Amino acid sequence: MHGGSPLEKTPLGKDAGRQALERARASLGKIILDKDQQIALALACLLARGHLLIEDLPGLGKTTLAQALAKVLGLSYRRIQFTSDLLPADIVGVSVFRRDTGNFEFQPGPIFAQLILADEVNRATPKAQSALLEAMEEHQVSVDGETRTLPIPFFVVATQNPADQIGTFPLPESQLDRFLMRLALGYPNAENERELITGEDRRSMLESVAPEMTAEILVTLQQDAAKAHMSEHLVDYIQALVRQTRESPDIEIGLSPRGAQALAAAARAHAFVERHSGVFPDDVQAVFAAVAGHRLKPAGDTSFRSPAEMCQHVLDSVAIP
Amino acid sequence: MARARGTDGSLLASLPWTLLALAFALLPHVPYLPAWITAALLTCAIWRYSIEVRRKPVPPALLRASLALACFIGVLYTYNTISGVGPGSALLAIMAALKLLETRQRRDQFVLLFIAIFLVMSSLLREQYLWSLPYLVIGVVLIMTAWLRTAADDLEPLRRSLGTSSRLVMYAAPLALAMWIFFPRIATPFWAIPIDTGTAVSGLSDTISPGDISALSKSDAVAFRVKFDGKVPEPQDRYWRGLVLHRFDGRTWSGISEPRISSGALRNLETLGEPVHYEVTLEPTRQHWVFALDIPYHWELDSTFLGPQHQLARVQPIDQRVAYRAVSYPDYRIDLELHPYRRGWYLEFPESRNPRTAELARSMRAAAASDAAFVRAVLTRFNEEAYYYTLEPPPLGSSPVDRFLFETQRGFCEHYASAFALMMRAAGIPARVVVGYQGGELNPMGDYMIVRQADAHAWNEVWLPGSGWRRVDPTAAVAPERVDAGRTGAMFDGSAAAWGLGAPSMLLHKLVLTWDAANAKWNEWVLGYGPENQERFMNWLGMDDPDWRQMMLTLVALVTGLTMLISLALMLRYRPPPRDRAAILYETFVRKSGLTPATGETPRVFAQRAQRESPLPATAVRSITDTYLDVRYGPPDAALLQRLESDIAAL
Repeated sequence: MHGGSPLEKTPLGKDAGRQALERARASLGKIILDKDQQIALALACLLARGHLLIEDLPGLGKTTLAQALAKVLGLSYRRIQFTSDLLPADIVGVSVFRRDTGNFEFQPGPIFAQLILADEVNRATPKAQSALLEAMEEHQVSVDGETRTLPIPFFVVATQNPADQIGTFPLPESQLDRFLMRLALGYPNAENERELITGEDRRSMLESVAPEMTAEILVTLQQDAAKAHMSEHLVDYIQALVRQTRESPDIEIGLSPRGAQALAAAARAHAFVERHSGVFPDDVQAVFAAVAGHRLKPAGDTSFRSPAEMCQHVLDSVAIP
Repeated sequence: MARARGTDGSLLASLPWTLLALAFALLPHVPYLPAWITAALLTCAIWRYSIEVRRKPVPPALLRASLALACFIGVLYTYNTISGVGPGSALLAIMAALKLLETRQRRDQFVLLFIAIFLVMSSLLREQYLWSLPYLVIGVVLIMTAWLRTAADDLEPLRRSLGTSSRLVMYAAPLALAMWIFFPRIATPFWAIPIDTGTAVSGLSDTISPGDISALSKSDAVAFRVKFDGKVPEPQDRYWRGLVLHRFDGRTWSGISEPRISSGALRNLETLGEPVHYEVTLEPTRQHWVFALDIPYHWELDSTFLGPQHQLARVQPIDQRVAYRAVSYPDYRIDLELHPYRRGWYLEFPESRNPRTAELARSMRAAAASDAAFVRAVLTRFNEEAYYYTLEPPPLGSSPVDRFLFETQRGFCEHYASAFALMMRAAGIPARVVVGYQGGELNPMGDYMIVRQADAHAWNEVWLPGSGWRRVDPTAAVAPERVDAGRTGAMFDGSAAAWGLGAPSMLLHKLVLTWDAANAKWNEWVLGYGPENQERFMNWLGMDDPDWRQMMLTLVALVTGLTMLISLALMLRYRPPPRDRAAILYETFVRKSGLTPATGETPRVFAQRAQRESPLPATAVRSITDTYLDVRYGPPDAALLQRLESDIAAL
């Protein structure tokens, strides 16, 4: 894919991976302005082998972020625009009859890429959504009774427009759980918006941006991130947070054990991205809203304006051991 | 059924602790228990442990039941009763041994530990020594540790179990102290503990036969302690009068039973010289005799009377340590007149038993000018001829005095006293044997005198017209140092070399004296805290003439207050889960910053606030926070911890 790239000559040492990650982060920061936190979270999500759901209004840079990630990390990239008439076969691919060979030949769908942008995922029918979510879960697809493995790494960035209500099929909670994180990008500040208006077009910037690492380096980084040191105290903290989500009268459905695992994995990856000596409480707090926000269901009579506020409420009521 | 009896080795970790606690609880009982019970307990402990090791089933119920029955009968057979401290603790011990055999779960171990606590407590029913307190504390800590180790799911470090149990005992200490001070003490307790009257207590008995006192001479046990108000009497005046014996059957001397009413003997006492005032703390003897310096004049002990032979006795036996004040006159004359009936008492002896002695006495009397001269002649004979004073006299047959005087010529004080009295009687001089203690060692550590069982002594009194009963000590004629320095002194002075004892034993002796002084203080302040002392203490506290209701209320209020205080202190001290060094250091840092972190505020966020709002230098705040995060949440790093410590100390 990247034949002739200078990266292939770079030794796959630990430091090399680390430096590549730093460069990738810096490069992303140049494209997506003033979103350091979100970039760190997206990278952490990727390093934790999770999938990312970006929920925001159109025009806030969701697509740009996904594309930039693919480009900078040197991953193969495909975009699937979810519409109401999208069929599962449009995602995973179909077997077509080849007259010259007399055989059916599999035509891989867009899912066979390392980074998938599933745009406006809530506009497709549940059937099409399921095809994507199954692929995310199983890391493989079955077509015509044949199981085909998806590439490694495999990373889905799905976007969702919260303002669209008519003719949409919002993902049910059970499926939201498949995404490690849910992010919102939000508006840029005035200064950065000015930069966006006057500066170089992001699309053309993306074309000129150079990949900073390869899929192989990313896989080693993923392995390293999973090994980030987590002290007993921090496990205590995560458990206390999870317990708080379950016991708080303001929350109807708390975090499941899978949610707790997700929180730990995301915190590890975040600590790795931030180059901490171990997982700090700050890492847990940084990923908490992104990991827990879409997994928690507030109680009916509470007045949280957003999931983020609910998550902050949980963080504010648990002491750090 | 067989399945249920099986063991799976799950108790392997906690069982040794339970066994250790049980063994420790049994320790003070061992000297009193029959050997078979100790052996049974040891066997059961080893048996049960090997069952656990080999994961075998515990013995079947039928076997256990028959063993229990057999042991019960065994206790009954050994003691003839099941009530009292001895049989009670024996039953408790043997049932603990059998409970071991049906211990399958942790729950059973808790029962065993309960029994251990009862065993520890019941040892106090026998005697409360100075070492009882450390023993109690260690015992309770040990049992609690075994408890914690049984209850712990995973194996927590031993240090933590020990720490927890020590802490628990420490929390309970103020409560125990308050209860000890304020629990109403009543002169006669509501309950009476049946004391084993059968168990031997070393001390004098009611009769004296050859060998009785020499058996005592090896016992270092304390007979009583004396505190003199003023000058301490000279060694030759330290005769502690106990009982007086006048009946002789040729071998054994016996006397009248203890007086139960005042005999009026004081009327026959003529005092000369200065009185001696002193206080005696008498160890339990299970006898009635009360010891006082020759010759007692006044004493302060309830239901105690002076017998016709000037011996003191209490109506109830001395089953517990008693303290009494007394006044004695070392210089005295008694019974200037001797009633003919009484005179007969002191002249009687079985003619047939020791014929050679009687014959010798008569011929010596014939040779002497007067009674007094005859007394001197006999003493001279003891002194000049080859008579020896020994702790291990050879056995004497059915004519003990004859055999002693003419054949063995080696004896202890009772041999000399017996022979002397017999010779006097044979010559027609009224004589009797007085048994008590002679000597006593001044303890420089506590400024009091210790009289030991080893100081037990027998001497004579002879009645001479015009001077009444006069004390004569034939042992002094044979071994003057015995009387001058006391047996203990003799052992450690002149004869020390002969005994093969050198300087180390002098040091040992000093240690023994120090230990005894501590014991005396313990007796005085702790065990002596009875109704009088309590009332005095209450008065001192400002409670005038408190009745037991008032004291009970005080106690309840105090215990409630203390419990609340201790709980409050614990609540204030409580910190969630185990805190490591880094957390404690960080807390110091937070305190120094003068700010309070909000719930859920991470150290980083706090540091940003501290940089703005606290007087601490911003760079220090930042570097300390970073180091703290690395130490606490990163991989273990001792060097970093040290840096954190010095950085925080430098603030």
